Amino acid sequence: MFLLLGSVPGWAVLGEYESSVATDQQRMHAQLHQVARQGYSIKQLSSPGGRTVREYVSPKGMVFGVAWQGPTMPDLQQLLGSYFVQMKQASRSRRQRGGPLVIRTKDLILVSGGHMRSFHGTAYAPNLLPDGVSAEVVR
Amino acid sequence: MRFPEGWYFRFTLIALTALATLALAGCGGSSSSPNPNPTPTKVDNTQPIQVNLGPANDYPNGVFTTVTICVPGTSTCQAIPDVLVDTGSEGLRLLSSQVTLNLPAVTDNSSNGLQECVGFSDGSYVWGGVVSADIKMAGEKGSSVPIQLIDSSNTYPVPNACTSSGGTNENTVAALGANGILGIGVFQQDCGSYCANNAAPGTYYLCPNGVCSATAVPVNFQLQNPVWTFPQDNNGVLISLPSVPDTGAPTVSGSLIFGIGTQSDNALGSAQIYTTDASGNFQTTYNNIAYNQSFIDSGSNALYFLDSTTLGIPDCPNYPGWYCPASPTSYTVTNSGLNGTSGSVTLNVANAEALFLANGGQNAAFNNLAGDSGTDISSDYFDFGMPFFYGRDVFVGIENMTGPGNVVGPYYGY
Repeated sequence: MFLLLGSVPGWAVLGEYESSVATDQQRMHAQLHQVARQGYSIKQLSSPGGRTVREYVSPKGMVFGVAWQGPTMPDLQQLLGSYFVQMKQASRSRRQRGGPLVIRTKDLILVSGGHMRSFHGTAYAPNLLPDGVSAEVVR
Repeated sequence: MRFPEGWYFRFTLIALTALATLALAGCGGSSSSPNPNPTPTKVDNTQPIQVNLGPANDYPNGVFTTVTICVPGTSTCQAIPDVLVDTGSEGLRLLSSQVTLNLPAVTDNSSNGLQECVGFSDGSYVWGGVVSADIKMAGEKGSSVPIQLIDSSNTYPVPNACTSSGGTNENTVAALGANGILGIGVFQQDCGSYCANNAAPGTYYLCPNGVCSATAVPVNFQLQNPVWTFPQDNNGVLISLPSVPDTGAPTVSGSLIFGIGTQSDNALGSAQIYTTDASGNFQTTYNNIAYNQSFIDSGSNALYFLDSTTLGIPDCPNYPGWYCPASPTSYTVTNSGLNGTSGSVTLNVANAEALFLANGGQNAAFNNLAGDSGTDISSDYFDFGMPFFYGRDVFVGIENMTGPGNVVGPYYGY
């Protein structure tokens, strides 16, 4: 019960091939819910305490987007993989305090918002969107 | 104060005070026991607050107050000015560099001090030890309340799961823009049952032999919203700030009033109550689209909602993420509580860059400062930040506490 999202090595991350969702689910004691959609699939992991991560997977198995919701901030380094560096390097809005984080670069679109006990957000890689799939599906 | 692994008891002021008294006695301190059954009495419940640019002189719409902390059960106290008043978080967090008192650590049975990481939605984080203090504001006092000392001196390395939100470590006045954060939101604790039942990475830690590992923490030892630890006026707060001119103002003074409907100065009056879901959110509708995770947050220094494409106004050229309409614009939205209350709110948006430059850059209070929440792809909320508070009485009702008309928190009222 002590392993949670973000603490699991091998978590399928943005820009990588999903291969370990089932293992993660087992370790997390999370419920895995899969939905097939036109041109992509959603793998949703829900763990006790109301933490949810959704992975948006292309037909070739590439994670092109992630969405999160939970009482604390998730481990974005693990969810974003190599895109975490881009997130850290992206310029922050000057003089914004205590609000959301919005990053819009060529390779990464990320929003993070909410307040203590209710954090949520999404990230996707525009270059990895499957043919015919809109970014709006990542939510 | 110590917390036992795997052993759970109900939070009471008496239990916490007794534990703190023991801990102090062990350290050679002395303290007197407070009345175990405090009778609610009329006390001064009005705490002055002020909007200004803060101690770093760079915090638009920062609302600050002075919080007095004391070694539990003693009159050894220190007043900490410039603490941010935040309805979007729970618990008192102070920069350790600003605290001279020697406060007893909250420890486990092996005397390991409890540490905490908090990641915020903008990616910034704080890290530091949990200690016990009496908290005094106006005539109110919370006894032996767990608070956080944000670590300014790197006592323990920040765990990876804490830095993984990607932003800055806000452990200096320059980074935090304040001497601390007074979290007085809709919850009793900062994490609640999630952290009581899970050793959740990025939350609470123990660091035996200098190696930090995530730990579960009973709710009584988590950071507490100070308001509900008061003997009276403890079911929520009222924040009352006057209107400001549309061009902004350098400072604005107002009141943080403790309790809702407990004294003559905190009656609901004409305010409507909007109860929230279990996560502290209500619904906002704009253009026939419902956004289900809205909240009212004095710690957000602007109205953060939607994006420039949806609103049809430009972002600021030199301040990305802020809105810069050619002329002031307003948007009408409808808020709905879970209790069925519904009402419209007008949000005014002016040119953020012009606001920042007006009056030689000395203005701090803006009722029309707004920015992007990235709603174009996913976000499901309006963040009613500080501009929402001007010229309005805003009530914040704490979970499980009963307010006027037997309403039970969490709720907002305005």
